[in-house]
Amino acid sequence: MLREITLGQYYPADSVLHSLDPRVKLFSTLVFIITLFAANNVVLFAIVLVTLFGIIRMSHVPFSFMVKGLRSIVMLLIIAGLFNLFLTPGKTLVSFWIFSISDVGLKNAVLMTSRMILLIIGTSILTLTTTPNQLTDGLEKSLGFLKRIGVPVHEISMMMSIALRFIPILIEETDKIMKAQMARGADFETGGLIKKAKNMVPLLVPLFVSAFRRANDLSYAMEARCYNGGEGRTKMKPLQYSSLDQRAYICIGAYIIGFFVVKGIL
Amino acid sequence: MSIIRAKELVHEYIRRDEEGNVEAIQVALDHVNLNVEPGQFISILGHNGSGKSTFAKHINALLTPSEGTLYVDGMNVSDDEYTFAVRQTAGMVFQNPDNQIIASVVDEDVAFGPENIGVPTEQIITRVEKALKMVGMYKYKSHSPNKLSGGQKQRVAIAGVMAMEPKCIILDEPTAMLDPDGRADVLQAVHTLNKEKGITVILITHYMEEVVDSDYVFVMEKGKVFMEGTPREIFKDVDLLKQHSLDVPQVTLLAHELKKAGLNLPDCVLTRKELLEALKENYGHLIRNQIGGGKLDFPESHPSKKNPTDNVMILDHVSYKYSPGTSYEVTALDDVSLNIKEGEFIGIIGHTGSGKSTLVQHLNGLIKSTEGSIYYRGQDIYDKDYDIRDLRTQVGMVFQYPEHQLFETTVFKDVQFGPKNQGLDEKEQIKRAYEALGLVGLPEEFFLASPFELSGGQKRRAAIAGVIAMKPAVLILDEPTAGLDPKGRDDILGLISDMHEKRGDTVILVSHSMEDVANYVDRIIVMDGGKPVYDGTPKEVFAHYKELEKIGLAAPQVTYVMNDLKAAGFEVKTDATTVEEAKEEILCCVK
Repeated sequence: MLREITLGQYYPADSVLHSLDPRVKLFSTLVFIITLFAANNVVLFAIVLVTLFGIIRMSHVPFSFMVKGLRSIVMLLIIAGLFNLFLTPGKTLVSFWIFSISDVGLKNAVLMTSRMILLIIGTSILTLTTTPNQLTDGLEKSLGFLKRIGVPVHEISMMMSIALRFIPILIEETDKIMKAQMARGADFETGGLIKKAKNMVPLLVPLFVSAFRRANDLSYAMEARCYNGGEGRTKMKPLQYSSLDQRAYICIGAYIIGFFVVKGIL
Repeated sequence: MSIIRAKELVHEYIRRDEEGNVEAIQVALDHVNLNVEPGQFISILGHNGSGKSTFAKHINALLTPSEGTLYVDGMNVSDDEYTFAVRQTAGMVFQNPDNQIIASVVDEDVAFGPENIGVPTEQIITRVEKALKMVGMYKYKSHSPNKLSGGQKQRVAIAGVMAMEPKCIILDEPTAMLDPDGRADVLQAVHTLNKEKGITVILITHYMEEVVDSDYVFVMEKGKVFMEGTPREIFKDVDLLKQHSLDVPQVTLLAHELKKAGLNLPDCVLTRKELLEALKENYGHLIRNQIGGGKLDFPESHPSKKNPTDNVMILDHVSYKYSPGTSYEVTALDDVSLNIKEGEFIGIIGHTGSGKSTLVQHLNGLIKSTEGSIYYRGQDIYDKDYDIRDLRTQVGMVFQYPEHQLFETTVFKDVQFGPKNQGLDEKEQIKRAYEALGLVGLPEEFFLASPFELSGGQKRRAAIAGVIAMKPAVLILDEPTAGLDPKGRDDILGLISDMHEKRGDTVILVSHSMEDVANYVDRIIVMDGGKPVYDGTPKEVFAHYKELEKIGLAAPQVTYVMNDLKAAGFEVKTDATTVEEAKEEILCCVK
C-alpha cells in the first residue's frame, strides 16, 4: 500500500531533455508557467499547447505515464470546473432548475481546467526527466544569489537531498512497524476519525524515535567524512553548460519573444 | 612512530537536569592506554557498553577526551586545529549501513568525503573509481543504495572512507547487522585493504571468528582494556573469556574441552586445520586405512508422540508474488507445502531474500498468499468468516529488532498493549503483562521505566514480552538475536528454549546463524529461492553441508571439524552439530 507512493518520480530514458542542464529545465518550466497564465486567447493558447506537445515528444517519456499524474487530481479538476461553470455570473446560455450556465462561466471552466492539466503535465516533464539529485543541484545553483541576503541555500538543498534519500527507508520502516503492531492486535483500519487518530500513536511514536536515531547516526557519519557546510566544497559532477544548453536557452528566448509579440498584436 | 597512541584516556558522559546540574556521570573510558603501529590489523573486542564505540569516536575526533590524550598520526585530537586532518587520516565506518549513506547514488556517496575536503573534480572521479574497485562495488556505481544488500551498502561506506585516502580505517561493528554472506564480503574487503594497501585497520566487533586473523587484540570491559595480545594469547584463556561472557570460536572451544578431558593438544587452537593436525600428530596411530562406508546413522527423526493429527498449521501449495502482473513481479514463495506440529521447535534458515521472512508473515495472516491455502487448527484462515485478528493473537510474531516497536510511556503499559487489543479486562491485562515480563526475566525495577531508557538487551526482552503477553499458542521469532552481543544472544535464546521446554509452546525461530539453530531446535527448514529445500532434524540437514554452502549457508564449524577428521581417516561419525556432541564423539574415537 505505502510502497505505491512515488515522489519526484524519474523516468530513465535517453533523450535531449534528459541530458539538459537542470537549470535550463527549471528556467524553461518557469517560462512555461508564466506564458500559460498569460495566454488569454485561443491563438496564444494554441502556441503553448503546440510547444508543450513538441516537448513531450522530445522527452521520450510515454504520454500515458504523464497522464497517470493527473489521476490523483481528477476530483479536484471536476469540482473546480463545475464551480466555474455554474457559479460565474454573465449572459445565460442554458438554464435548468436552479442551475444556469453563463458564457463567461463556460469560458472560465474550459480555460481553468485546461490550464490546470497543462500545468501538471508541464511540471511533471521536469521531474520525469531530471533525477532528484540534479534537481536539488540545479536549485542550489540557480538560487545561489539568495545566499547574499542570508538564505542558507546550500543547507536547504542538502536537507532536500537527504530527505529524498530517506523517504524510501522511512516508508519501508512504516510498513514494518505497522505490521509489528498489527501482530500485537493493533487496528489501523476501522473506527471513526478520532479513534483512527488515536490508533496511529503506536505507529507514529516508534517512527519518530527511529527517525531521530537515524538523524543522529547520520550526523556522526557526515562529520566523520569531514562535512563542514558548503564552504570550500568541490563537486564530482559540477553543473556545466554545454553547447546543447546554450541552444536550448536560445530556443526559450525565441519562444518568449514570439509569444509576447503575438500577444501584443492581438 | 605509532599511528594511534592513547595515554590515560578518560571519557565521561555527563547527564544534566534542566537547570544544568550534574545528575549522573557515567565513565565510558577509564584510563585507557593503547598503541597501534602503522599497517597493523587490530581488533577491539568487548560486549555492549564496554566503551569500545566511545573509543572509536575519539580516534575520529567525534568526541573529545575528558582527561588524558590521544594522538592520531602525531596529532592531538583535542586540538581543534587538527579536527579535519584527524578525520582524513583515520576514516570511520559505522554499524548501520543505511544511516551512513548520504547520497541517493552510489558514486555520489563515495564522492561525498573528497567533495567536503575540496578535492578538484577530476581527482574526485579517479578517487571514486579507485575506491569502488578496491571493495568490488564498481559495477554498482550508478545504483541507488536502497537497492543494495546490507553487505554491499557497508562496502560502499568503506569505499566512501577510502576515497578520502586515509592511513587508518576504524570499523565500528560493521557486520553486526549483516547476514553471513555480507559479513564475509565486508571482512574480505577489509583484509584486502590491510594487506594490499597497507591501511591500518581497527575492527571493533563481538564476533570472535572475525578476530582470529588480526595481528593484535584488545579486549575491553567497563571502559578498561582488560586483556591484550595476539589472538592466540587471548583465546588461550577460554575460561576467563567465558567468565566475562565473551565467546570463543567453536573450534577453539572444542579443543579446549577436549584438552580438559585429558587429550594431548596444544594450548590454543584457532582453526580447523590446526585441530586436525594436532589430532593427527598425537592420535594418528588410530587412523584405519580403510575408510568406513560413510553410512550416516540418523536417529529416528521425530519423537513418536507427534502424530499427524497434531498439526497446528498446514500450508497447502502456498505461493506469493510481490507486485504481480507488473514488470517488478518477484516470486517470494514458490509452491510451499508444510506441516507444523503442536509443540515443535522449528528453525527456519536461509540467506537474505530466500523467502523466510515472507513465509513466517503468512503464518499469522500479515501477508495473504497469492495462491494456495493455510489452515490453522483445521480452519482455513482465508475464509470470509475467519477472524484474522484472532489468529494474530494465537500466532504471536516477534519481528526483527522488535525494540523498534516500543511506544508507550512505561514498559508495563507497552506490554499491556497486546492483551488490551485482545479485549481483555484491565485485571487480566495486568496479570498477563506481569507474567510475561517475569518470563523474559526483566527485573521489576524497570516495569515503570520508559522503554527508551533501557539497554539494548533489556529493550528486546520487553518487546518480546509484549508478544508473549497475548499468550500465543505458536510463537514466531524473526532473527531475535540480530545485533546483540554474545551474552545477550545466549540469554535470549535460552529464554526462548525455556518457553518451549517448560510451557510446551510451538516455537518457530528464523535465523541465519547455524550455530544458534543447531543448539536449540529439533527441526530445521532450509529456504532457498522461495522454497523449502531441506526439512529435517539438524543432523539430517547439516549432513548436506556441501549443498548448503552452494546456497550461501554453512553448517556449524564443528560439523566441518568432524568431516575433516573423517576424511583424514579417523573413525568418527560426522553428524555432530554441537560442541558437546563433537567432544563426545572424538573422545569415543581416541580413547
